Amino acid sequence: MGLFTSSRDKVKASPIKGQDGPLQESTILNALKAVQDPDLHKDIVTLGFIKNLKISESLIAFEVNLTTPACPMKERIKNDCLSVLGDLAGGRKIEITMTAENPEKRPINAQLEASLGRVKNIIAVASGKGGVGKSTTTTNLAYALNALGAKVGILDADIYGPSIPLMTRPDAPNHNANNMLLPPEVDGVKIISMGLFTEKGKATILRGPMAGNVIRQFLMQVAWGELDYLLIDYPPGTGDIQLTISQTAPLSAAIMVTTPQEMSLIDVRKAVQMFETLKVPLLGVVETMSYFVCDGCEKKHFIFKSSGGEKLSQEFGLPILGRIPLDQSLVVASDEGKPAVKHQPNASGSLAYIECAAQMASQLSILNNKDQQAMHNFHITWK
Amino acid sequence: MATENLQIYDIKQEDERTLTIKWNSGRTQALDVVTLRKKCPCAACLDELTRKPILDPHSIPDSVRPLEINAIGRYAIGIKFNDGHATGIYTYDFLSKL
Repeated sequence: MGLFTSSRDKVKASPIKGQDGPLQESTILNALKAVQDPDLHKDIVTLGFIKNLKISESLIAFEVNLTTPACPMKERIKNDCLSVLGDLAGGRKIEITMTAENPEKRPINAQLEASLGRVKNIIAVASGKGGVGKSTTTTNLAYALNALGAKVGILDADIYGPSIPLMTRPDAPNHNANNMLLPPEVDGVKIISMGLFTEKGKATILRGPMAGNVIRQFLMQVAWGELDYLLIDYPPGTGDIQLTISQTAPLSAAIMVTTPQEMSLIDVRKAVQMFETLKVPLLGVVETMSYFVCDGCEKKHFIFKSSGGEKLSQEFGLPILGRIPLDQSLVVASDEGKPAVKHQPNASGSLAYIECAAQMASQLSILNNKDQQAMHNFHITWK
Repeated sequence: MATENLQIYDIKQEDERTLTIKWNSGRTQALDVVTLRKKCPCAACLDELTRKPILDPHSIPDSVRPLEINAIGRYAIGIKFNDGHATGIYTYDFLSKL
């Protein structure tokens, strides 16, 4: 911002005033056409950057309105303007003010506005392999976040093998006036799952595209309302459903769940690669079935030799968000539909999940702070 | 997987046929929408197995324009063109190399 005087302050008669009449706006604009925006590869006049051009006996003044206040080329453009106008100025002072457009309100994908418009963070809970404890982790993390004061929802994306209803026992969902699904709440956590729409014990038999439609419906036609966290319990693998979610929902981040063995790690690595390809940031690793605490001697028994979480964390530079012990209370609570974190908050498994939820929340804040400028949910209508 | 962690800081219509994207790298890229249509990476325009073009770029008139542009997840954009074509998923990696 500021006042700049042409470096060529030689006192001489204006070459234009006199013989050719007064200095014209068009003359100035033509000269400025020599100044290119190095990023946009176009001249600044064509780009419409020149605003409020004023010419008087002693002064040429205008604004250069750039696309961003943080434009790294600001100084260069200003200097280029000064140098192309130097000869024309004829002793007039050149006053260039560098401005920037105020960023417009960020457009939001209209299709998601009604469903996910007030959801602050959408977290994928994923692993490559099944049976590592994703649903147990999702459920308990949800109640742990809820206990920490957050508004939480769970979207069970495992269409073929939904486990969340068994673990939480939600009622059947209702519809609102706009024919959107209202997710049932269990102890303050909102839940949607394929299991709410099928008869207990009946298989869901659907081809990929239909399963994809169900997922899209869960994302677009559920009135999630105001949530701090929506946890999406991913089905195992790196296929259709996983891609559909990642393409439809503006995911904030993902967390990886693994057991300690290499057997689980092999597939988790693939899921990690999937998220890297889809540019979904990974918050960290939750290692389940980490150890067993003997009720006789209180010793931690590491039943699986290797620490898979540690390995994964080192390989991909991911923090370990938590190590969850093999704790019978977690299993019983899950089977009875009474999430351990909610019903037995002092069990060792519950304490581990509460700590894990706090870690997750803090990693997410770090990420959000770092990535404040990134746009993930834009919609442009071409004019 | 050596994909750069590209993110979009700003995306907007620059003029009648230019889309500009400001990347997290600080780079601002001007993209001609007609070229985007001609280089559509979808399976109907580009053979999935051989990666050879199926679409003849000369068949696309210079008058082609987007109707709307949407985010796809956080790794790509989708463009609905006024010739009815809307199946291309333009990943950030693909766009940044144009």
